[in-house]
Amino acid sequence: MEWLEALLTSGVRMTTPILLAALACLPTLWTRDINIGLEGVMIFGAFFGVALGIATGSALTAVLLTLVLAAAAGLCFGLLVTKLKVDVFVGGIVLFVFAGAATAYLLDILFGVKGNLSDPGIPVLSSLEVPLFEDVPLVGGIVSGHSGLSWLAVILAVVLAVADRRTVVGVRFRAAGSHPEALSAAGVSVVKTRVIAQVWCFALAALAGIEISVGQLGLFTVGMVGGVGFVALAVVIFARGSVGFTVLVSVCFGIATAVSFQFDKNVVPHELTQMLPYAAALIALVFISRRSRRPGRTLVGV
Amino acid sequence: MSNLVEVSREAPAPHGVGRALIPVIKALVAPAAGLFVAIILIQSGGFQPLPTILVGLEYSLGSVEAIARTVAWGLPLCVATLGVVVAYRTGMFTVGAEGQIYVGALVSAVTGAYVGGLVPWAHQALSIALAALTAGAVSAGLGWLAAHWDVDIVLSSLLSNYVLLGLCIFLASGVFNDPAAEAPGATLPIQPSAEFLSLIPRTQLTVAVFLVAVLCIGAWWILERSVVGYRWRMIGESPRFATSSGMDVPRWQVLSLAVSGACCGVAGALLVLASQGRFASEIAIGLGWIAVMLALMGRAKPLLAILWVGVYSVMQAASRKIEQVADVPSDLAVLVICTILIAAAAAPGAVDLVVSTWRRRRGMA
Repeated sequence: MEWLEALLTSGVRMTTPILLAALACLPTLWTRDINIGLEGVMIFGAFFGVALGIATGSALTAVLLTLVLAAAAGLCFGLLVTKLKVDVFVGGIVLFVFAGAATAYLLDILFGVKGNLSDPGIPVLSSLEVPLFEDVPLVGGIVSGHSGLSWLAVILAVVLAVADRRTVVGVRFRAAGSHPEALSAAGVSVVKTRVIAQVWCFALAALAGIEISVGQLGLFTVGMVGGVGFVALAVVIFARGSVGFTVLVSVCFGIATAVSFQFDKNVVPHELTQMLPYAAALIALVFISRRSRRPGRTLVGV
Repeated sequence: MSNLVEVSREAPAPHGVGRALIPVIKALVAPAAGLFVAIILIQSGGFQPLPTILVGLEYSLGSVEAIARTVAWGLPLCVATLGVVVAYRTGMFTVGAEGQIYVGALVSAVTGAYVGGLVPWAHQALSIALAALTAGAVSAGLGWLAAHWDVDIVLSSLLSNYVLLGLCIFLASGVFNDPAAEAPGATLPIQPSAEFLSLIPRTQLTVAVFLVAVLCIGAWWILERSVVGYRWRMIGESPRFATSSGMDVPRWQVLSLAVSGACCGVAGALLVLASQGRFASEIAIGLGWIAVMLALMGRAKPLLAILWVGVYSVMQAASRKIEQVADVPSDLAVLVICTILIAAAAAPGAVDLVVSTWRRRRGMA
């Protein structure tokens, strides 16, 4: 049973950044401004989490400051897309490429290193132990010993689900995408709604990046996000805008990633196991598209 | 999405000189923003921006050898960018160039290293052709899924990058690995018969430049002057009109993606046959993404895209020199090109916003 416990523990760890990034993306899917630069925001989040952690000496302060920076960046991106009419596809690609180059640049300029930053001064988010359950076989590994961001992801999923089902927020986000004239006639600013979706997206995507760098590894490496943002995009497309399905599909991809780590490197080379989540996402994308045959659920021109 | 970076809603223009100035301002905003970022980044390193930039430009354009070096570096990028342009013409917004370049590079490296007994031109042609065919088939497959099963082409091509990269590196680290190589995940070096003939020593400029010139002219002619190009453009701008005109839209879209992938495959082959001499796991990191950006900057027009490839190649070569003399990381070129693209995309909207605000304040709206 040890392997199963290790798999589940690793599964929760792998699920957290995917879930946070997918929840980040969800409101932008509703407003039809889905941002393929999500991966870029995660790269920035991972970098600033580490850089600000070294500067302040506190992981929590680093998280909060990174959140503020991400929200400000989300505001700028939202204004670019809404007020200045920059195509969100173009903006997303620029954001992704820019993030890779800018973090490599900052790494060199600020810390004098190329490629990766590993320093004993990097604070790591402490893991939360749940006293009642930590000794329970299987369950203990799932609920105890993970960073606070894992729990925050669960809370945010509940908040978003309630906001979507029980409040007017979800309706407004969806209307901003599908019926902007109706939303405007109801006296709600379409621009403001779309910008808020981007601010939410950037803040949560930055948290997803922080979870990888400060929450799990305690270092920063160029390319460490490694496509998790793109997997999250796939999750959101599969879930078709539903919060519940987003959580479910995120868990599936988290487990798939964890499974890829369980293979013996001597039996299955790690180059193959690393691409397992992406291959699974691609196959699932084909399967779901084949089943639905419904045009319109696309990243470009939704 | 069809007009990419030309997205703007024209506000009523002011009269007289103001009206004449608006297009000029829109055109100048992007390069000015790029220059501004370059100056800020160099200045922040404690160096004089203008002399440093001039040293970089001297390195990239200052002599025949310098120009040859810059051109040689830009050749694979040029072919890959043209490939992306072809796909974008039909409205297939693929971002899978990176993975397809890797496929082309690996196939050409294996053909160049293991296939023997051929005269040089045949060996080179076979390596290029197999690279183009394999990458073209991969891209066409993604296109077929998009055209027939509505599989999102952006997402499927994004994910395919990681799958293809993983597969190529797995093969290069396994069955095709050269244990003696210093670079990680490297294959055996290609045979001399597969190497392109050098034109100018110490510059990596080879006869591949003629192949790329033919490809550029061919791409321009097909996209701008041929019936095929006209059909692709019609499908990209109005697929419904194309369908009602009796065109088999999915077939033409798959064809455009096959050509797009083939170009990316050729770009990968050029990296191996004309430059690196073997496949390595980091042979083309980021090249596909730069190609996507340059295709967007070129508004999916071949000549404009080639022009931007030239500008980027000069900037890239200059930034390498700037890294040596001013300790400014060579990522500078990517940062500047990103700034230029986002400024170019935002400039029409920004100018229109300013003009409409100005008119509202003067009570003219």
